[in-house]
Amino acid sequence: MRRGGVVGGLVLVVVALLAVVAPWVTDPAGLDVTRVDGPRLGAPSGEYWLGTDENGRSVLLLTWWGARVSLLVGVAAAVLSVGIGTLVGLVAAMAGGWVSAVLMRLTDFFLVLPSLVLAIALSTVLERGVGTIVLAIGLTSWPGAARLVRAQTLAVAARPYVERAHALGGGTVHVVVRHVLPGVVPLVVVNTTLAVGTAIVAESTLAFLGLGDPTAVSWGAMLRTASSTGAVTAGAWWYLVPPGLAIAGVVLAVTVCGRALETVLDPRLREPR
Amino acid sequence: MSLLRVRDLHVRYPSEHAVRGVDLDVEAGETLGLAGESGCGKSTVALSLLRLLPRTAAVSGEISVDGEDVTTLNWGRLRALRWARASVVFQGAMHALNPVRRVGEQIAEPIRLHDPTVTAAQARARVADLLAQVELPAERARAYPHELSGGQKQRVMIAMALACGPRLIVADEPTTALDVVVQAQVLDLLSGVVAERGIGMLLISHDLAVLARVCGRLAVMDAGRVVESGPTGRVVAEPAHPRTRALVAAFPAVGEPRHRRAPATTGEPAPAGVDRVGGELLRVEGLRVRFGDTVAVDGADLDVRAGEIVALVGQSGSGKTTLARAVLGLVRPDGGRVLLDGRAVPARGRGLREHRRQVQWVPQDPTSALNPRHRVADAVAEGLRVHRVPGDHAALAAAALAEAELRPPERYLPALPHELSGGQRQRVVIAAALALAPRLLVADEPVASLDASVRGEILALLLRLRARLGLAALVITHDLGVAWTVADRVVVLRAGRVVESGPVERVLTDPAQAYTRSLLAAIPRARWASRPT
Repeated sequence: MRRGGVVGGLVLVVVALLAVVAPWVTDPAGLDVTRVDGPRLGAPSGEYWLGTDENGRSVLLLTWWGARVSLLVGVAAAVLSVGIGTLVGLVAAMAGGWVSAVLMRLTDFFLVLPSLVLAIALSTVLERGVGTIVLAIGLTSWPGAARLVRAQTLAVAARPYVERAHALGGGTVHVVVRHVLPGVVPLVVVNTTLAVGTAIVAESTLAFLGLGDPTAVSWGAMLRTASSTGAVTAGAWWYLVPPGLAIAGVVLAVTVCGRALETVLDPRLREPR
Repeated sequence: MSLLRVRDLHVRYPSEHAVRGVDLDVEAGETLGLAGESGCGKSTVALSLLRLLPRTAAVSGEISVDGEDVTTLNWGRLRALRWARASVVFQGAMHALNPVRRVGEQIAEPIRLHDPTVTAAQARARVADLLAQVELPAERARAYPHELSGGQKQRVMIAMALACGPRLIVADEPTTALDVVVQAQVLDLLSGVVAERGIGMLLISHDLAVLARVCGRLAVMDAGRVVESGPTGRVVAEPAHPRTRALVAAFPAVGEPRHRRAPATTGEPAPAGVDRVGGELLRVEGLRVRFGDTVAVDGADLDVRAGEIVALVGQSGSGKTTLARAVLGLVRPDGGRVLLDGRAVPARGRGLREHRRQVQWVPQDPTSALNPRHRVADAVAEGLRVHRVPGDHAALAAAALAEAELRPPERYLPALPHELSGGQRQRVVIAAALALAPRLLVADEPVASLDASVRGEILALLLRLRARLGLAALVITHDLGVAWTVADRVVVLRAGRVVESGPVERVLTDPAQAYTRSLLAAIPRARWASRPT
């Protein structure tokens, strides 16, 4: 488990570094359909290692640049979703009473809504762009995190040491800051990591359905153009496989990394008994 | 031929040598008591008898149960032996029962496993018969574990152990976590079954008093070895080994003047400090606390004077913990008042915080009362931070640790709770309470979760703190021995009402109420203390 996590972590670090340095080591001009001169749907060759798309752009370059949007959206949406979820869960657990009831019914409402449909609706209504995609994914995927954080908060708050802190004279703020948050944060971290994978897939789905930012290259958008421009019928596998493998690889890396983090940070595995 | 014969038993785990050469014999109709502190290897011995240990344990030596050599049996024969010839009453009945199955089905499980030809009707009849033997009505077979009380669950466990008519019963701490009255009933039941059926029993406990009540012979274990064994009367009256002496001393005899205000401690004897008792500090008037429809505390009155140690005793469910929590302001009373220095304790805000500075809590289980992520320094200084006490918190924490006799404090400040022993953890909790210089300690079963040898030390600490700091204490306990060892006055609580209260010497030697007498009669120690020595 630990070794898998390390490998996953390394993969993520490499992909993230490549995504960050892309503007400096590659020429963005290669993404501009008016300025490329490669063959149309050309097979992999010495010049174009992963072949070219229907406009003659290098698939390698597209995949490379696609990582930027996919990772950005993945991380931002995961942070947004877990952030909302943590806040709602924490407040619901600590406040109790009607506040908790209202928040949890709201959570249930979002939980039963088909999130893809909601995300589609949101990204159609809002202005097109990366921010919209992040918002659409973040606003639809937080209920799971809220439930989880609420449960963990309730569990920590029921521990005798929390009661002892109350008996010492500590107020709610003291208990939350000194005892509850440190007990909940590991779960939140793990949850965020795992949510990144889900968000990347969601971004690809939305982009594939044509709801993404049409000007930005992302892995989902690549798959969409590939299928809509006849790459499949033309047998241009090199156009489909790289973004597909990239999605699968990054999501897998994120997941093993999250699982490994879970074993490292899980309070149940750390607390002696 | 012995029912159980163990010779030179060794059990090695990868990290430790848990059992180091144990010899035991149990004859038919006999009960052997195996005593020892946690970690001495007694439960490992119990599990090795039916080869229930994890694979990582390497067992060597001879174990024969009812004439069969357990160490060499093949899997099929071992399964036939388990339960049909020897069965186990496991520790902690609340966890050993499956919460989602009716107890009748669970009792029938071994019967049907060992004889698949038994029909459902026959199995039901057997279960009813077994329940009758453990004095439970037959219709309780349809109950789920959560519908039963602790004592009833333990009876179900015993019925389960008897299901296949075993020749040997191994009972591992069968009465731990039960209160004195229920404990007495369960012990009587077990010894009755042994006498009636002429079977053998190996009874394991950390509590010598429990063993003394039912066992003919005792074996005391320490660090994987049997250090002393012999007839119960002899071992208890004239313990030869220091470990046995510690176990005997840890459960003081109520009514024995030698044990009055004299907890077993290796340090200097604790001073009585009775001269520190002053005027009234805490007063509880007509306190009522309800949880939904259940009335936990029903009009209780109580008072504690400055520098006085008052014991609040009662069975589980008598409302003593709820009363303590009301004194701390952790539950809001539905009626009555709690007064400190003659002033009512405010229910919220600054006033409540100030009250919580004066009155400090020592909760039941120090392990769960300490945040596993906080170092000792943080745990002790927590109250100082909460109340924004001026001064150097690290130095104050160190002083509090020294006051709780964790010396040198520098060694303990950076430790995490799991690196400490149970007794040390309890001292850390006490130090955290002392850091705020309180006037009253509310200690909820302060020694119940601790090992025998540590109990006396913690109780002695309470007495020394009283003598040194004039600290008053309200000690909640189900153990009248604790009351006898430390308290000045005792308050007996039953179903949320005070039944009797007064000086310890009077209430525990000449009780006015029948209920107090029944509590005293249930203490296993009472029987052996009256035995001529």
